[in-house]
Amino acid sequence: MKRSFTTLTDATLITAVVQIGYGEVITNALLEIGIQGSTIHAAMGVGIRERLGALGVAVDAEREVVSVMVSSDEVDRIFERIFLAAKLDVPGMGFMYATPLLQAATFVPPSILSKYAGQ
Amino acid sequence: MAKRQTIRFGDYIQAMVVNTQQVPYEELMPEPLFDRYGNEHPQPVPKMKLGSGDVVKVLQPYLSTRFIDQARAVVPLAIYLALFQYIVLQTPVMDASIVAGGLFAVMVGLMMFMEGLKLGLMPFGEVIGNTLPRKLPLPGVLFIAFLLGIGVTFAEPAIGALQVAGSIVDPEKAPYLYTLLNDRGGATVLVVGLGVGLAAVLGTVRFLKGWSLKPLIFLTVTPTMILSVIAWNHPELTKIVGLAWDAGAVTTGPVTVPLVLALGVGVASAAGKGADSSLSGFGIVTLASIFPILGVLCLSFYTAYTVPTDTIIAHATEIKLAAAMAANQPQWYEATPWAEVILGVRAIVPLVIFLMIVLFVVLREKMKNAFITYYGIIMAVVGMCIFNVGLTYGLAKLGDQSGGLIAGAFTSIDAIAASPLYSVSVGVATAGLFAWVLGLGATLAEPALNALGMTVQNLTNGAFKKSMLMGAVAFGVATGLMLGVLKLIFDFHIMYILIPGYTLGLILTLLSTEEFVNVGWDSAGVTTGPVTVPLVLAMGLGFGNALGSTEGFGILATASICPIVAVLSLGLYVQFRVRQEERRTAREFALEGEIT
Repeated sequence: MKRSFTTLTDATLITAVVQIGYGEVITNALLEIGIQGSTIHAAMGVGIRERLGALGVAVDAEREVVSVMVSSDEVDRIFERIFLAAKLDVPGMGFMYATPLLQAATFVPPSILSKYAGQ
Repeated sequence: MAKRQTIRFGDYIQAMVVNTQQVPYEELMPEPLFDRYGNEHPQPVPKMKLGSGDVVKVLQPYLSTRFIDQARAVVPLAIYLALFQYIVLQTPVMDASIVAGGLFAVMVGLMMFMEGLKLGLMPFGEVIGNTLPRKLPLPGVLFIAFLLGIGVTFAEPAIGALQVAGSIVDPEKAPYLYTLLNDRGGATVLVVGLGVGLAAVLGTVRFLKGWSLKPLIFLTVTPTMILSVIAWNHPELTKIVGLAWDAGAVTTGPVTVPLVLALGVGVASAAGKGADSSLSGFGIVTLASIFPILGVLCLSFYTAYTVPTDTIIAHATEIKLAAAMAANQPQWYEATPWAEVILGVRAIVPLVIFLMIVLFVVLREKMKNAFITYYGIIMAVVGMCIFNVGLTYGLAKLGDQSGGLIAGAFTSIDAIAASPLYSVSVGVATAGLFAWVLGLGATLAEPALNALGMTVQNLTNGAFKKSMLMGAVAFGVATGLMLGVLKLIFDFHIMYILIPGYTLGLILTLLSTEEFVNVGWDSAGVTTGPVTVPLVLAMGLGFGNALGSTEGFGILATASICPIVAVLSLGLYVQFRVRQEERRTAREFALEGEIT
């Protein structure tokens, strides 16, 4: 069988850098609304303890980086959901950003492929 | 719910529940400083100014998650004991407010201690583990590992429980047991520490050489068994055996395991080994629980040959007289908060000084984040002191009480007027069931077990599920506790459980693969945390005293061997099933081949 290749357009990557333990909070919040395929990396953060002074002991230097690819149309909604789930409005909790993706690829179900077949 | 292909702008606006506002990121960047040549001028990190509301927001998740971690281990156990006492034994908890205060102190103390351990002591362990092997030849590294093993033993929170337990022992009935726990208590802890030190050395060498754990288990368990049998046949030392085997369970707590592991893994990775196998962390826990048994047995033999029993009894009565004289006016350092504070400082400070000497003098390294580290050390010391207060007034008191009262279910004791509450068979069954449920609950609440379960699940590619391992270990501990309680009721010797238990364990070890041997033997160590050990020790002693048996030790020992047997047998079963599965798939493939 001839193999075919499909690229996906209009994708945005949301990346959140949060304190250890909150990565799972975010992925659970995403799974709740049916968004799967998030990745969690372990990382070490630098600087927040210096900025917070004595209060810095309450902030874990070990971080988790959650990245998830979403459709560009839905970025705002999901961006907001992650922000609230990870409590990023608290000092020292972490930060997040969204980057537009040039192209992406993964398994695309045949039903969707056939929809675009003519184009 | 139908999936929308397009979104109306009105819906979009409604979905954005949070007020959004745009601010350029420049506002968060520091103002750049240039000198007159146009070079960037260094400037410190700007301090963030926080309102009191933000301070609460930062501290609240920090404190609550750590407190809940400890509360999850303590509260269910306490509620279970209190309810059992109230409903089945029909006696309310005595001094309920003191016990509750003590348990609260245990939770706060453990919370602070664990945080201090993570921030203050673990960085030392990691730095030393990573740099020591590069700066010192192997014998030097092993020597420091040995000393570290002794230091961590003194810092282990559960070791204080041995001393508390020792004060309940009657010198007339078991003189050697009394002396090993009281006037020679320091020597006993030292011997246990020597055992842990030896285990640290052997475990590190094992990492380096990639030895199998199986022969090590045989080489250490066999002499320990032989010595135990000799002690068993000695008229006086026979009462020591329970303590010796319990000592092994006490050592493998939250200080020893991570610190010794950090060093061992550091050495192994510096030599370019160990990182390839996720098993590299295992084995030390097993060795660290067998060597102390050997050490305590040797010490008891030495004591038995050098000190006659009469001296001990005379000495004990002397101390008792002196204590009675001084009872009205206890020294300030014997009064409640100070005694525990001294105990706490004595446990942690030597270890910290030792780690500092190694780091600053031997390695000439600087500590990164010194502020955080010192904060951690202070937290560890303060936490240990608070924990010790809670140990005496919360865990030991509650355990002693329930242990003493549970005897009332089948025999007559003073504390319960209506005792025996039930007929002998029902009462004994009640006591056994009580211990069984206690073991099950306490084990499932142990956070270390959860971590072990995850590791095992990854190791076996999901064949050995996390819930299966946790179930097996909890079942083992529960059965072990029940056996230990039955041992006290029927007053048979601990060796009747240990000999068949360890023989079975050794046979299963021969049959199992290396992975399961590592996991199985280590699973015994992870279950005996700082909450379970004091509670079970005190319960056993209180129970033993109420029944009039000579010693209440040995419950922890039986609770250690049963999970080993349970995990190893389950491992064999899983292996068998996996092999069967493979054979079936192979057959199916073969069939498919015939068809096409």
